[in-house]
Amino acid sequence: MFIEFLFISSAAVTIACAIGVLVVKNIMHSCVFLLGSLMGIAGLYATLGADFVAVTQIMVYVGGVVILMLFAVMLTGGKDFISRAQNLLGLPPSMGSKWTYGVGLLVGLVFLLTNIQLIKGISQSLPTNEINNGFPSTVTQIGHLLIKEHVLAFEISSVLLLGALVGAAIIARPRKQN
Amino acid sequence: MNQTVVSYLSQYEFYDHILALFGNNQGVLAFVIYAVLALVIVGMCATIGGLGTYAERKISADLQARLGPNRVGPYGLLQMLADGVKMMTKEDIMPFSADKALFYLAPLLCLTGVFATLAVLPFSSGFIMADLNVGIFYLVAISSLVGLGVFLGGYASNSKWSMLGGMRGASQIISYEIPVTISILAIVLLSGGMGFGTIVGSQGGLPHQWFMFHNPFAFLAFFVYGVGALAETNRAPFDLPEAESELVSGYHTEYTGMRFGFFALAEYIEVFVVCGVAAALFLGGYNVPGISIDILPMQAVQFVIFMTKTLLLYYVVIWIRWTLPRLRVDQLMSVCWKYLTPMAILNLIGCATWMVVFNGKSIAELILGSH
Repeated sequence: MFIEFLFISSAAVTIACAIGVLVVKNIMHSCVFLLGSLMGIAGLYATLGADFVAVTQIMVYVGGVVILMLFAVMLTGGKDFISRAQNLLGLPPSMGSKWTYGVGLLVGLVFLLTNIQLIKGISQSLPTNEINNGFPSTVTQIGHLLIKEHVLAFEISSVLLLGALVGAAIIARPRKQN
Repeated sequence: MNQTVVSYLSQYEFYDHILALFGNNQGVLAFVIYAVLALVIVGMCATIGGLGTYAERKISADLQARLGPNRVGPYGLLQMLADGVKMMTKEDIMPFSADKALFYLAPLLCLTGVFATLAVLPFSSGFIMADLNVGIFYLVAISSLVGLGVFLGGYASNSKWSMLGGMRGASQIISYEIPVTISILAIVLLSGGMGFGTIVGSQGGLPHQWFMFHNPFAFLAFFVYGVGALAETNRAPFDLPEAESELVSGYHTEYTGMRFGFFALAEYIEVFVVCGVAAALFLGGYNVPGISIDILPMQAVQFVIFMTKTLLLYYVVIWIRWTLPRLRVDQLMSVCWKYLTPMAILNLIGCATWMVVFNGKSIAELILGSH
């Protein structure tokens, strides 16, 4: 019963905040709603027993991405830029015609149905108590997978991060005054 | 598996009697235990936060040859109650041009972030709400809500001082998170787990069994963690977000009454949490020297030992605040990025090398011979 409660509350928070992101006019409020939505997704991961992924979700998105977004919004414009010119409910013609929205809706529906078809098999075949096959915790299992089977992807992503770090340092370094 | 306070209590006989009272409904009893314990821990930590303000004023007075609060109650001990009543009865002023929703949300985010960390703080081997596998990682992640609260508080006040304070706070907190997390990672490496139970359990009660004295790199990591943690909690000498001499009061300039109280309380409880984590990771946590029997009364002894270590560190934090002058912003950033972060990475590599070369033995074990 507790798991159901956790799932329903997390899902409700996720969906309500996601709608909030789209509906509110103030872009700072959108960022805060996004924060709530991402926390809700962390709750969904926790419901599935993926504790490490849930905490990583909070660490990366709440501690990093949302703060970065807020910084970016604040550094790029004054109060005039913070409010959006329009929201979802008052659409100006420059944002698209009914054809583009129709196609968008269709693509979304196809995507949703495909995902449901994909997930349907998984949810029936994996009871939660069989996820930890022989490992003391999910952290150990993820560690083993990262170092053994997916070591190439792991190392390549570290090169990507190093590139990002070096790039940031180059952009931020003081220019020589000639 | 994840250990919780419920699974700890369920090994005793009286648990079954209580379970019978609840009609053998495991879920309801677990919920009641969690709710009661959450109330107890939050109440206890709020009191510690309140006493923290008292201790801060008394110790600062001592260091500056003053008396400090001594009028309300014996030795001025009830000063915190007087302050609390004052804060609650004060007018709640909302600046006219403030962003109202975020103005209300910011202090709550700060307080939520701090209270959420209490769920994994190991007061004793049984008295820990949930000993998650990812305990310390969870603590680091959820406490980033505090930085968000500081930042949003600065933004929503729509005041220049608050804005500057909030920007400084957010940049300081996310910068210092890096050396702190890497220092913690070195300890995770030594213990082989991220849960507090694993980390504290692989240390001993006596100082030579603590992770702080495990190897020279862990010793350095303790100080890197200490300095970084001071900066993360916005304590002097890193209290730039609320630098009175330049920013009035920083990110909480526009806050009045209990909303200001939330920020202040969050800061004092966060200092307590940070000291508790330092005690658990580096100073042996709740381990009782020489005794390793697990009976219920031992929990009280463990609790006292943990609190002693934590409150001693709390004293040191206050002592530092009233001794050192504040850093400049550029010095703050260069301390983090040019000194602490390289040192933390060096410590991590050093600890990893030590574990391989000496097969995971500490200095004491190498000198005294393993036993």
